[in-house]
Amino acid sequence: MTKLRPLPCALAALFFHHAAQADDLVLQRVLVEGSRMSQLGIADSANAGTVGQKELAARTAYRPGEMLEAMPGLIASQHSGEGKANQFYLRGFNLDHGTDLATTVDGMPVNQRSHAHGQGWTDVNFLVPELVGRLDYRKGPYSARDGDFSSAGSAQVSYANRLVKNIASLTLGQDGFARGMLAASPEVAGGTLLYALEMMKNDGPWARPDDYRKTNAVLRYSRGFVNNGWSVTAMSYRGRWNATDQIPLRAVEDGSLGRFDAVDDTDGGNARRYSLSGMWRQTDADSASKVSAYVIRNQLDLYSNFTYFLNDPVNGDQFAQPDRRVTSGVDATQTWHVHRGATIASDLTVGARLQNDNIFNGLYDTRARQRLNTTREDHIVETSGALFIENATRWGEMVRTVAGLRADRYRFDVRSDRSENGGRTHDTQLSPSFSLILAPFESTEFYANYGHGFHSNDARGTVAGIDPATLETVGRAPGLARSRGMELGLRTEAIPTMQTAVSLYRLDFDSELTYIGDAGMTEAGDASRRYGIEFSNYWRPLSWLGVDFDAAFARARYRGATPGDNRIPGAVEGVGQLALTVDKLGPWSGALRLRYFGPRPLIEDNSVRSHASTTLNGRIGYRIGKDMQVELEGFNLGNRRASAIDYYYASQLAGEAAPADDIHFHPIEPRSFRVTLNRTW
Amino acid sequence: MMKSLKMLLCAVLLCAGTAASAHRFHAGIADVSFNARTGSTEIVHTYMAHDIDALLANMYGRQFDLTEPDDQEVLRKYIDSRFWVLGQDKTRLRVRWVGVSADAERVTVYQEIEKTPLWKAGAIHNAVLVDFLPDQVNTVNLNDGNAVRSLTFDRANPDQATR
Repeated sequence: MTKLRPLPCALAALFFHHAAQADDLVLQRVLVEGSRMSQLGIADSANAGTVGQKELAARTAYRPGEMLEAMPGLIASQHSGEGKANQFYLRGFNLDHGTDLATTVDGMPVNQRSHAHGQGWTDVNFLVPELVGRLDYRKGPYSARDGDFSSAGSAQVSYANRLVKNIASLTLGQDGFARGMLAASPEVAGGTLLYALEMMKNDGPWARPDDYRKTNAVLRYSRGFVNNGWSVTAMSYRGRWNATDQIPLRAVEDGSLGRFDAVDDTDGGNARRYSLSGMWRQTDADSASKVSAYVIRNQLDLYSNFTYFLNDPVNGDQFAQPDRRVTSGVDATQTWHVHRGATIASDLTVGARLQNDNIFNGLYDTRARQRLNTTREDHIVETSGALFIENATRWGEMVRTVAGLRADRYRFDVRSDRSENGGRTHDTQLSPSFSLILAPFESTEFYANYGHGFHSNDARGTVAGIDPATLETVGRAPGLARSRGMELGLRTEAIPTMQTAVSLYRLDFDSELTYIGDAGMTEAGDASRRYGIEFSNYWRPLSWLGVDFDAAFARARYRGATPGDNRIPGAVEGVGQLALTVDKLGPWSGALRLRYFGPRPLIEDNSVRSHASTTLNGRIGYRIGKDMQVELEGFNLGNRRASAIDYYYASQLAGEAAPADDIHFHPIEPRSFRVTLNRTW
Repeated sequence: MMKSLKMLLCAVLLCAGTAASAHRFHAGIADVSFNARTGSTEIVHTYMAHDIDALLANMYGRQFDLTEPDDQEVLRKYIDSRFWVLGQDKTRLRVRWVGVSADAERVTVYQEIEKTPLWKAGAIHNAVLVDFLPDQVNTVNLNDGNAVRSLTFDRANPDQATR
């Protein structure tokens, strides 16, 4: 008897189904009375969501990276000069500068892999907030569409192709803040030409002003619609800044340093980002196609000094981490939409992703930004390809499933100044994912999610032979570190005008692999496990009042470590926000947002911890006539003295006889105000 | 491991098999009638809320709240550029925007041609949504008080004479 082989049979079934027809693939709902876009019937997990342009505009943001805080449970912080990539916290992670948080802007990856300073470096200073149409986010490794760096979460920022109104904006604020922005989208040659120019300056409260100056420009030509059309976009960002890096607590306590003083007043950097990207999409009743391609040129010069005079009592410990790269890539997805009977419908999506990074970076000892010594120099070519298949099926009104499989292959090619640290290697991973969504009631859904994800390790760590600083032999790290996540969730709109979501999750990593850019070596940590619960709530009690309340708690531990010595430094234990948003009050609008940034263990044995902090931001807007608005934003209204970030390590100041283990902190900015005048036409 | 992955792949592929047809019909209706009390011709458009929402979202890359005057203005600009009425002399009659109402199911647009009887309309151009949804069919019901006559518009036929 012939044995039926399941895989060929399934493939045959795929290609011999009847001709299918389909609805629009964009399933969205009209927003009524200021309600937030419902995710019932759309999202595959309780943690996923979309934040619209108006909600983003209603938020206060001290820096562009704080836009990502619209993702419940996320904290964007800064430990250095404003031009540096933010420090992110999410789901019990200290994500450093973006490891395990995958961010894209119009399909272009923002995370920079094998970066000189930090793996997954996510610098979002090139974002122009006025152009953002929507922010889509999801957390956990439950989607075959998500790859590198997405185990804690992913954020997709989309720029609009055309603006409802052209806008000019001028902002002046305390601490030397000034910003001008112009954006317009005239119709040109049957399409839309979107252009924007932003110039910004910010000194901050620091004794040595940041003098952060940036210029952003965006030029986009598009034809058609988002789902049926194409666009070509050029972006340019240039920024330069001085940096006040974290300072030792002991020096502040003994009065030798002020809270806003710097130890090394030559720290800082400059960054450039230029990109050219294109996107083409075609959607019809039966299928949807999407192809995007990009070339990104990134350039960073970064000078830091975190240990002062610990390693070099004469010249100090300042080091430079220049990184120059060209990132190019192509993404393509094809979705077929099929119906079976009156109630069963499926979207079958296949996708491919190619990305290549050609990177020149290094690590140098410097003094006042002058090179003294080369620790290492590398030329890295990192190439990756991914294929995925995902099937989303609605089994009637009550049950949905999403099943996916993703294959990633990475190739690392490192040419180092030391032959022991060069070489080629590769790594491959298959990542299955599955979600079950039950909707037994009209306004309530339950979710069960399981999936595998990963982050890539720094290419230099995958071929490492010796530590270039100590010349000790080091072990090689695998290219990809697997994560496994599982989650139960609930989303309900059973209470009128209220949207509530609860998630309970577990996330395991095979290894907390991180490249320690500051030391120029890879550190492969123990495996880790996180448990967490997240609660997200939006309530619109009155047509003019919205209330957000989010809370997230996480327990993160190294697995395999001795109990009592298994904490993960920097892993945030709790995050929360309470926000009141007022609009439709005649010409008035406003918002108040209380942000809770929970405590973090700073070392494995938990004997040193950072304090939690609570800060209050707010804004008041007043509309003058139809086309003008004046807005007052206030940051840290309670003028709290708290840390934006804390570290615990050894350092040595000039004049100190020996190194000292200490907390090193970067303070949050004191109370400050900014006034903005917006004119639209 | 490989066996379980194969089984998973099979399950994914089988989910795509054995398909049947089902299709959302994309349609809009505009009722045009003369109001003897005001002396004006009134136009009431009704569209599927899903279609209008998808249209605006795919034009501007963001969500709209059609209870907001600013967002209604965006829809007004679109409707005004896709729907107009020509007089007997082939010049455009001035169609005044009265307002819009929206719920989860439908979007209703109210317009009027002030102090103008219906018979003065010679032709109608209706291309609402047909640029976005290729199979969109718009029906215009002309009610002159005695009888109702229907005109059908689609991508190939955006212009129809009223008599």
